[in-house]
Amino acid sequence: MNENESIVSLLQEVQAKNGYIPKDEIYRIAAEKGVSPAKVTGVATFYSQFRLSKPGKNLILLCKGTACHVNSADGIAAALKEELGIGGGETSADGLFTLEFVACLGCCSLSPVMMINGVAYGSLTPEKAKRIVREIRDSNDGKGA
Amino acid sequence: MDTELVTLQIDGKSVSVPAGTTVLAAAEKAGVEIPNLCFLKGLAPYGACGVCVVEAEGCPKLLRACATQVREGMVVNSKGERALKARKLAFELLMGDHDGDCLGPCKIECPAHTDCQKYVGEIAEGRFSDAAATVMETFPLPASIGRVCPHPCERKCRRGKVESPISIAALKAFAADETRRRGEAAPAPAVDEPALAGKRVTIVGGGPAGLTCAYQLARRGAKVKVVDQMPEMGGMLRYGIPEYRLPKAVLKAETDLIAAMGVEFVNNFKIGRDASLADLRGDCDALVVANGAWRSSPMRIPGEDSEGVLGGIDFLREKPRLDGRTVAVVGGGNTAMDACRTAVRLGAKAVYVVYRRTRAEMPAEEVEIVEAEEEGVSFMFLRNPAEVAVAGGRVAGLKLQVMELGEPDEKGRRRPVPVEGKFEDLELDVVIMAIGQKNDPTGFEPLVATERGTIAADRAYRAAFKDEAPGLAPVFACGDAVNRGAGIAIQAIAQAKETAESIAAHFAGRAFEGGLGVISARDPERIDFSAYEKKPRESAAVRPAAERRADFGEVSKGLTAEQAMAEASRCLKCGCHDYQDCKLIRYAKELKTDVTRLRGEYHPAELETKLVSIERNQRKCIACNLCVRVCEEKAKKGLIGLVGRGFTTVIRPEFRDPSAVADCAECRMCVDACPTGALRLLAK
Amino acid sequence: MLRIVVGMGSCGVAAGAGRVKEALERAGAKPGITGCVGACYLEPIVDLYEGAELKRRLVKVAPEDGPAIAAAAKSGDLAGVEKLAISAEDEEFLSRQTRIALRHCGVIDPESLDAYRAADGYKALEKVLGMTPEAVIEEIKVSGLAGRGGAGFPTWFKWNAARNAKGDEKYLICNADEGDPGAFMDRAVIESDPHSLIEGMLIAAYAIGAKEAFVYVRAEYPLAIVRLEKALGDARAAGILGQNVLGSGFSCDIRIKAGAGAFVCGEETALIESLEGSRGMPRLKPPFPAEKGYLNKPSNINNVETFANVAWIILNGGAKFAAMGTENSKGTKVFALTGKIRRGGLVEIPMGLTLREVIFGIGGGIRDGKRFKAVQMGGPSGGCIPESLLDTRIDYRELGATGAIMGSGGMVVMDETTCMVNMAKFFLDFTARESCGKCVHCRIGTRRLHEILTRITEGRGKEGDVELLEELCRGIKDGALCGLGQTAPNPVLTTIRYFRDEYDAHIRERRCPAGECAALRKFKIDPAKCKGCGACARKCPVKAIAGEPKKPYAIDPAKCIGCGSCEAACRFGAVAKA
Repeated sequence: MNENESIVSLLQEVQAKNGYIPKDEIYRIAAEKGVSPAKVTGVATFYSQFRLSKPGKNLILLCKGTACHVNSADGIAAALKEELGIGGGETSADGLFTLEFVACLGCCSLSPVMMINGVAYGSLTPEKAKRIVREIRDSNDGKGA
Repeated sequence: MDTELVTLQIDGKSVSVPAGTTVLAAAEKAGVEIPNLCFLKGLAPYGACGVCVVEAEGCPKLLRACATQVREGMVVNSKGERALKARKLAFELLMGDHDGDCLGPCKIECPAHTDCQKYVGEIAEGRFSDAAATVMETFPLPASIGRVCPHPCERKCRRGKVESPISIAALKAFAADETRRRGEAAPAPAVDEPALAGKRVTIVGGGPAGLTCAYQLARRGAKVKVVDQMPEMGGMLRYGIPEYRLPKAVLKAETDLIAAMGVEFVNNFKIGRDASLADLRGDCDALVVANGAWRSSPMRIPGEDSEGVLGGIDFLREKPRLDGRTVAVVGGGNTAMDACRTAVRLGAKAVYVVYRRTRAEMPAEEVEIVEAEEEGVSFMFLRNPAEVAVAGGRVAGLKLQVMELGEPDEKGRRRPVPVEGKFEDLELDVVIMAIGQKNDPTGFEPLVATERGTIAADRAYRAAFKDEAPGLAPVFACGDAVNRGAGIAIQAIAQAKETAESIAAHFAGRAFEGGLGVISARDPERIDFSAYEKKPRESAAVRPAAERRADFGEVSKGLTAEQAMAEASRCLKCGCHDYQDCKLIRYAKELKTDVTRLRGEYHPAELETKLVSIERNQRKCIACNLCVRVCEEKAKKGLIGLVGRGFTTVIRPEFRDPSAVADCAECRMCVDACPTGALRLLAK
Repeated sequence: MLRIVVGMGSCGVAAGAGRVKEALERAGAKPGITGCVGACYLEPIVDLYEGAELKRRLVKVAPEDGPAIAAAAKSGDLAGVEKLAISAEDEEFLSRQTRIALRHCGVIDPESLDAYRAADGYKALEKVLGMTPEAVIEEIKVSGLAGRGGAGFPTWFKWNAARNAKGDEKYLICNADEGDPGAFMDRAVIESDPHSLIEGMLIAAYAIGAKEAFVYVRAEYPLAIVRLEKALGDARAAGILGQNVLGSGFSCDIRIKAGAGAFVCGEETALIESLEGSRGMPRLKPPFPAEKGYLNKPSNINNVETFANVAWIILNGGAKFAAMGTENSKGTKVFALTGKIRRGGLVEIPMGLTLREVIFGIGGGIRDGKRFKAVQMGGPSGGCIPESLLDTRIDYRELGATGAIMGSGGMVVMDETTCMVNMAKFFLDFTARESCGKCVHCRIGTRRLHEILTRITEGRGKEGDVELLEELCRGIKDGALCGLGQTAPNPVLTTIRYFRDEYDAHIRERRCPAGECAALRKFKIDPAKCKGCGACARKCPVKAIAGEPKKPYAIDPAKCIGCGSCEAACRFGAVAKA
């Protein structure tokens, strides 16, 4: 670990490795940086990227940007809720999917858009969104696209 | 090298300070107070609260005084319209998200704003004399008022949302009795008020209002004389409240204490007979009129002038024997209850209470009604006297109009309306009218009166003679004789206490501002009471009805010490420990902030009391971050931090984990830095 | 033999460019890649080149088209793919633009340093290394280049302040935390032309005297990070970046710092806090970053699009840049044209064009035959501009006068079905959630604005709410600590200013004129169109729809919650807003 790395960067490393930030890692980073765990927690809870609990196997980022809003992103959210039973920030009971709302994925022309495990899906309709998550669930036992 | 001096103007005052000084510090030097909440000397400016914003000439934006360095020739205005607006908005926003009670609802609801929560707390700790002293801060009759007060405080007591309210009035009586029993009864400490020292104040009327006013003025060094038409002091407490509720000896002990403070009591002194109001005024520095409401209101029905028709308060004062008589008391208030129960004790054969609505609408205290029933009083509801039947110039009975309940009135009480043509006759010997009382203007004609015939007083309790001339002693008026007329004793006391403050302000040349001013109060609808363990209300033992109806001995035996402490410990302690020192409410008051206008969702909050001996009430937290900053920068610990972002940001120790805060030395710097009451050092 | 190039920006990939490329490879072709040409509505796009000449641009390509394209490229006979060729009308979308910042986007291979060099890449840097830093700043001053991130502050001024700041250690920071929902030009530049960003940054670093530079890029832009990482590596290996740049003795390295999801980090001082690893909460200004920035050292921050213009200006001269635009606003600006627009994508145009020329000329107006209502500019800090002001020119001052701002270039077009109160609510939901929570006016104020807007959209508005909103907005603008809070009220103020009637309809008539607010709309079934299939009734969450098979169904208005499930379920267009 590079001691010159900032707390944000260290947390990003931890999350990249674990998918979330376990409590122990906060204490470890605090100790390594010589700051209080409260400070590290403050950073970890400030940024929406960081998760303090284990996410589902598949991470869905649903864009709630302006263009997506104008093109009914709320309808996609409702469809995902119907299909997976989860809202923003929630993980499905089977642990397969975590849904997070993000400010903008920068694919405005293809709005509404969602990104699953780093792959963007554009020009969604409620039906299309449901089909996409269904396919992921069915394929590979939902272990990821 | 000499530090360069910079000269600037703040609110018209010129001040020179070293370069690098902030506007806030320069203002302090210039004697201008710029409100601030998130600033603390010795810490880097933070700029969060937005309260210290000021205008500077030529600058298009508002500046944060805490963070802006002075510039040569700067012209700062801390009270410009724009700065005030932004500052006021900051307070409206803060108060709208500040889910805290400055004061307990008990204290707010008490007309005199007696510090109920404080004395209840003192009783819970077994500090009974301290409790009595706390009441004495407000008024000098705790044992008497504790017995007779209909305790509006208890109506709003939050404990009532758990199961039943704290027995505040009984606790007050207990503390006062216990204190007197121990020989520790004493006036509250003197109040330093040089402007009042030696001022001669004459008070007309020795009831709760006159006595309270006398007491509060005496505490402030005035030379007070109370004149009263009756042979003893106490007013309605003595002559209107029956002995079985308030023994005269209890009252006497309390009035004696006032006399012992040097207040001169002159009894059997009647205005118009022994001196005119103008005479009294000519012989003092200030005159207070608190002559009460001693006339029973008439029923305005045929036959009410007959022999055997008595006014309620006249009856209570004179207490004629009623052996073998049948008595009807007209009315449903506490005076009616006092009258009917007194009638029982005076030997009446049968006692009826005639009331035009139903029991549910009776304004009398529930316990009074129950005890009257126990003592054999019969109630006739939905009946209204239409005529007094007269035989040989004496009462023979009452013709009663049968009523029914109609549409609700403006207070939501259903209005009684007559049932057309339906009457009943009741045979009896005595009718007691207990439907209200009025002031007697005889002798007080020189004073400007209201349309109701009461004495007119302004917000500062100033009254006026009709032929007012300059240079005369100021006249004040309070109590039952004033403005809206008769009420309960504690209302008269409340006015009297403020009258004393107004008189002090008058002589000191200050503006008088009554009331509590701006305060923060939680919305009880948004409080979850389910977490509280239910604990039943303690109540004092009472003598059996059969025994007590035969004499005037006190009905209640009062709370025992064990009961009192148990009862007092039920208090939810709604009011804030930090009210006196709270910067947030101090400025909110100064800016006359509307504290509920921008109320909405509250930030997430919890009450953390477990980790260290510092209680953290996040509901009151304004996220100024001072505690975090002193812990990190001054205490060098960094045990607490901001968690989350935006509106949902909270401050708390790491993970609520005891090990993470084991390092806390309880230096209490965070508690001292907190501008509100969000942090509190718990007793070990 | 034609060269096949697939547009592989994020949008293209999202539209299926990856699958098209695979199909082409399966068909035996060896397609190259390029970034995003900006015509997002035409993605996936496949270009066929003969040498450097673009022979044919194929649009909305599907994987099934792979074999035909591969065959056409091999034979040079384009007949088989003509049906995919871009139409003359769509060609206009591109031909009417003036591309400086986007000059290489969708043209060159973003993963190839050689391709960039072949397109005059790093020539400006070479030129600059022979100039004095003062001369570089002077050239930028002549160009009139202003910050493209939103504020429009003169770039030369910031560079000059940082250059003149005391201290040996100085930092250059590229703000690529493109947080404005609805803007994506920075992502496109990094994905499609990363070397142009690197070159612009090196020139700036040379001008101010920085030896270290950062690109603070959104974590939501994974592809941009990958491409930039590769470009930095290539540049370093080629001696362009790092020690002794191009043998000049000047040294500067650039590192990527990924953001972690906080809109407020677009604010300079919050970005610096974040770079340092702390909570991204704005600092008090002054001191400004030019004086005390990253690690309290002099720092200069510009955004991606600003840097993307720099090399062009150096090569072509500031005067040529300044010749474009208006008196107050020089050069070109990139807009992300999105929403209910027919032709959406990235549009770079000279300043001074009118909104109408951009939206109706280049963007082709509103799609689906609906009417234009407003264009939102500047995202959460901006405002909604109504039809009556469509002739406003693209100019910092003129746009500012409408109550909106130039902003980073988001241009979201709305039609008659967009509720403007709901739009304001959307933005306040955004800013309230993105508020860092430090200052009172923003932390609590934006929340209250959102609550009031919510109650209005839910039919619980009160007379006086609009005035209360205005009062709050003005107070928040005055009292908030940073740009986020100070501009957060703009979407509310502009919608009140231009669409007050919509607010009043919600409050007084409990009616949403656009029919968007669910709590205020009801649906009805047209018996003439209803086939009695019952699909709507099955979807209705509150069982408000009843009927018999094969006969027209009906909605009970008392039960209807206006969710619109029935409208979505009906295949016959029989359900409509009542």
